[in-house]
Amino acid sequence: MQYVTEFASGFIKLFNTGGAVLVTWMKTIVPVVLLLLVLMNAIIAFVGEEKIQRFAQKAGRNVLMRYMVLPFIAAFMLGNPMAFTLGRFLPEFYKPSYYAAQAQFCHTSNGVFPHINPGELFVWLGIAQGIQALGLNQIDLAIRYMLVGIVMNFVGGWFTDLTTKMVSKQMGITLSKEVELKV
Amino acid sequence: MAKWNSIQVTKGSGGYGGPLTITPTEQKHKFIYVTGGNRPAIVDRIAELTGMEAVDGFKTAIPEEEIALAIVDCGGTLRCGLYPKKNIKTINVLPTGKSGPLANFITPELYVSNVGVNQIQLLDGDTPVAVEPEVTSTTESEGKYDTSKSITAQMRKPSFIARIGIGAGRIIATFNSAAKELVQTMLNTVIPFMAFVALLIGIIQGSGLGNLFAKIMAPLAGNIFGLILIGFVCSLPFLSPILGPGGVIAQVVGTLIGLEIGRGHIAPQFALPALFAINTQNACDFIPVGLGLEEADSETIEVGVVSVLYSRFFNGVPRVLVAWLASFGLYSR
Repeated sequence: MQYVTEFASGFIKLFNTGGAVLVTWMKTIVPVVLLLLVLMNAIIAFVGEEKIQRFAQKAGRNVLMRYMVLPFIAAFMLGNPMAFTLGRFLPEFYKPSYYAAQAQFCHTSNGVFPHINPGELFVWLGIAQGIQALGLNQIDLAIRYMLVGIVMNFVGGWFTDLTTKMVSKQMGITLSKEVELKV
Repeated sequence: MAKWNSIQVTKGSGGYGGPLTITPTEQKHKFIYVTGGNRPAIVDRIAELTGMEAVDGFKTAIPEEEIALAIVDCGGTLRCGLYPKKNIKTINVLPTGKSGPLANFITPELYVSNVGVNQIQLLDGDTPVAVEPEVTSTTESEGKYDTSKSITAQMRKPSFIARIGIGAGRIIATFNSAAKELVQTMLNTVIPFMAFVALLIGIIQGSGLGNLFAKIMAPLAGNIFGLILIGFVCSLPFLSPILGPGGVIAQVVGTLIGLEIGRGHIAPQFALPALFAINTQNACDFIPVGLGLEEADSETIEVGVVSVLYSRFFNGVPRVLVAWLASFGLYSR
């Protein structure tokens, strides 16, 4: 009988521990993130998608704008996965590279601006909650995450230009580097 | 019968529903605006494009079967659902989504919101204008609603007070609809994942598994070589698409590492390179869909899938290394 009781209380302990963690998150993370999201999304609704699209049409021309500035702003303004839609203003050849950079910007900025990718927040938050548990400031980590992201996501996008060149050669496909707007 | 033209109305930024195609007919060639006395700019725009007659719903009532379109400025209480319920196509000037007691009737087929002048386009001339043969008593009642001119004259320039009112209403409605949408996101995606991760943490910490994981994770995530290994494995081109979906693996591994950081088994400095190491496979499962969102050609997608997998592989380890270099001085006191 004693074993049964011990087993049962041990079993319940798992859920008590998990429940305590969940309640802590509900009290700390949920309200803050929610309010931040509301403000951000309202701002985005005021600015409007049209302005960003106009910006995207101009931004495709140089490599820094294409893989650093544009995906950063697209992630901030449109979030995951709508940010990818701005890639349609780029020439075919650069679309895979834009994808590579954009997908990463949807994560690296997510620590500072969780409205970008709330559905995959725990890539960031899973690790960040450890920092929080130690009583340290998450923002320090979030900012470095974003800064390293800005540099390395750009490098990733630029590097994908090279792999695209290589792969298209292998496959015998030529992709256009000229803008052809279908919109 | 080119007397009337069809228009297409799309949703504005942050809006909901649509696109709607409005085709006036002999029977339905009037549209009503129920916007609290002011006359939104889109009313004149629609009247000009379609040739339909605008009717101020606050001043004149017209039979429902003659209404081709209703324009409202409803922040989500009643009006936004009232006309869809009657099966009348509805444009909301404010960015209100599915809400209010009649939310069930608000569907993308009948309703579009946050519409401004730019969201209204004339459909191409080749779209046939539907003509309904049974013309009813349209002529006899024509004179009654021809009040539009005087209203236009009155409301072309809304008074200062009215403009403040309209502006404030717009701001509040935008915030309100953002909040509604996001509470849904929280309820549907974030909180369920939190519950799942919290259960995982409970099981790991509450049972003996925690110590076992500490033995595995600490040497792996607690130094740069282990993190490079994680980053390398995650970025392998034949593994990365399998590890990608929904970022679930990255989220679970991240939580495990975070747990060990919280318990003091891994130095907090390694949080930064770990963030990069667990996600070197970032979105490798999503490449065709993402390129589809970019409206890429099928050839581009063919090349792009392979290209991005390669570039993720070559960039994976360098990302972890750079993050590691950038982590010096973080949380060191």
